[in-house]
Amino acid sequence: MSRLRAEGLTLGYDAEPIVRDLDVTVLDGKVTAIVGANACGKSTLLRGLARLLRPRAGNVLLDGKAMADLSTLDVAKVLGLLPQAPLAPDGITVADLVSRGRYPHQGWFRTWNDRDHDAVARALDATDTADLVNRPLRQLSGGQRQRVWIAMALAQDTDLLLLDEPTTFLDINHQVELLRLLRTLNAQGGKTIVAVLHDINLASRYCDHIIAMADGAIVAEGAPRDVITAELIEKVFGLACVIVADPVAGTPIIVPAD
Amino acid sequence: MTATATRTSSATAAALRATRRHRAVRAFAATTGLTAAVAALFVLTMMVGSFRLTAGEVITSVLHLADTPSVDFVVRGLRLPTALSALTVGLALGASGTVFQQLLRNPLASPDFVGITSGASLAAVSGIVLFQVGGLAVCALALGGAITAAVVMYLLAWRDGVSGYRFILIGIGVAVFFEGLTGYMLIKAELFEARQAMHWLTGSVGQASDDELQLLGGALVVLLPLAVILSRKLRVLELGDDTARALGSRVEITRAALLATAVLLVALAVAVAGPIVFVALVAGPIANRLLGPATGSIAAAALVGAVLVLSADLVAVHLLPTPLPTGVVTGAVGAPYLLWLLATTNRRGAGG
Repeated sequence: MSRLRAEGLTLGYDAEPIVRDLDVTVLDGKVTAIVGANACGKSTLLRGLARLLRPRAGNVLLDGKAMADLSTLDVAKVLGLLPQAPLAPDGITVADLVSRGRYPHQGWFRTWNDRDHDAVARALDATDTADLVNRPLRQLSGGQRQRVWIAMALAQDTDLLLLDEPTTFLDINHQVELLRLLRTLNAQGGKTIVAVLHDINLASRYCDHIIAMADGAIVAEGAPRDVITAELIEKVFGLACVIVADPVAGTPIIVPAD
Repeated sequence: MTATATRTSSATAAALRATRRHRAVRAFAATTGLTAAVAALFVLTMMVGSFRLTAGEVITSVLHLADTPSVDFVVRGLRLPTALSALTVGLALGASGTVFQQLLRNPLASPDFVGITSGASLAAVSGIVLFQVGGLAVCALALGGAITAAVVMYLLAWRDGVSGYRFILIGIGVAVFFEGLTGYMLIKAELFEARQAMHWLTGSVGQASDDELQLLGGALVVLLPLAVILSRKLRVLELGDDTARALGSRVEITRAALLATAVLLVALAVAVAGPIVFVALVAGPIANRLLGPATGSIAAAALVGAVLVLSADLVAVHLLPTPLPTGVVTGAVGAPYLLWLLATTNRRGAGG
């Protein structure tokens, strides 16, 4: 059973489609990584799954219903997305920003209530950002800032969370910290998580499932140990490499061949 | 383990509650203070002049509580229209400016700069110069010019939706184009019409007629609450289109509705008083200084706008040796403020 899937999905911005006739199933309760070379369509696919792009053909189905037929507010109560480069107004504080994640749960005239309050507090605690509530976002480090954005998406209180390259601007320590946070959210809250990631080694280490894309198509998917092979990396990234086992976790690690 | 987690969570909840309460108190205090300032300035502008009046005389006359023909003539006949004009124009400019800035995510995206005001100016000056019209006709032309400029910019900026950045660049281009044409009109004009056109172009709250005031007042009663209700949606639009969509906002229709509200507000204000520059630009940032960063209160920005225009009118008409149009004062005070704002914002950014 899968709550989020796509059938025959074709997506694009201009005349040429970027993603063609794709069938994708997001595994419930798992952490999935979408990997691939630059411009292979992985962010486009994620945006399509989150209804940020209207399909040229095919459908994205949420709980068996075509997403295009659902109210966008109802979708926002189930499915959250953190974009690659979200914007923040100048001087905004952490408390203010995270609270804005409650938008889909509020009506035209409904004021802030205890449920909103609890959701925001839980999001701050889960991301270890509770001490930062009164700080302006721009004074925080890159790693703190990314955790605050994730808190904003968590305040939305959705079962599914999609993240577009959440580790891109972080140093290695903060990349690992963020992936551990995603694992914890998955383990404790049972959240289904899909993230576009660049680092195959980290994706293999911290994700349950990998979807590898090339030229707008899925070339392989499955558990990291089954999927990550020298042939696949050659095919997806054009890199000749050797696969070795991670000495700590035993997951596959890519080592350039020459 | 569970107990620890619960305790941390309640501490967080308490901290969050304190933060929200602090914000609410600050917003209430600032908004109340601004309302009081607007009321005081509103009465004060009607007290001063060659025929001095007390606050009591002004208030009883405005509220029709007493019948003193000489006072009523001065207050209701001469000073109330100008005071009402300053009040309504200020409210409209303040609200419109902050909506523009938040919607286009740029503090420089004031309607003064992105071509709305220059569209109104071109239409009004063309009417004055080519057809020798005056009064309500100039008002109607300015209104039409502002709305046309906004529609043209929206259509030119449209490409799978309207992005703030493209809208601003196109707006600046449109503004320069319209200003060029306005200059051409002025050169072609006879001396009398040119003088009239220049007077309109500097902007003054004293030139509004009763019909124009009724129109602006009526529009404000509808548009201001609408803008305040829609401002909830601005809070997520500010986070970028993708985030707003992910949070369930229908971005394009929301943006179009907010833009239409803001354009109507500024178009009416300019149609009534001419271009009173800088008020729309500075009202939002001042309101944010008072209420806290990124609060974006439209009501507070509208009140700041009213304070600015009422003060500018007071200075322009009563404190200077020669009475001047309001727009001259707002320009003279607003431009240095803008420079100060930009300079301090940059410094804080570099320091943080």
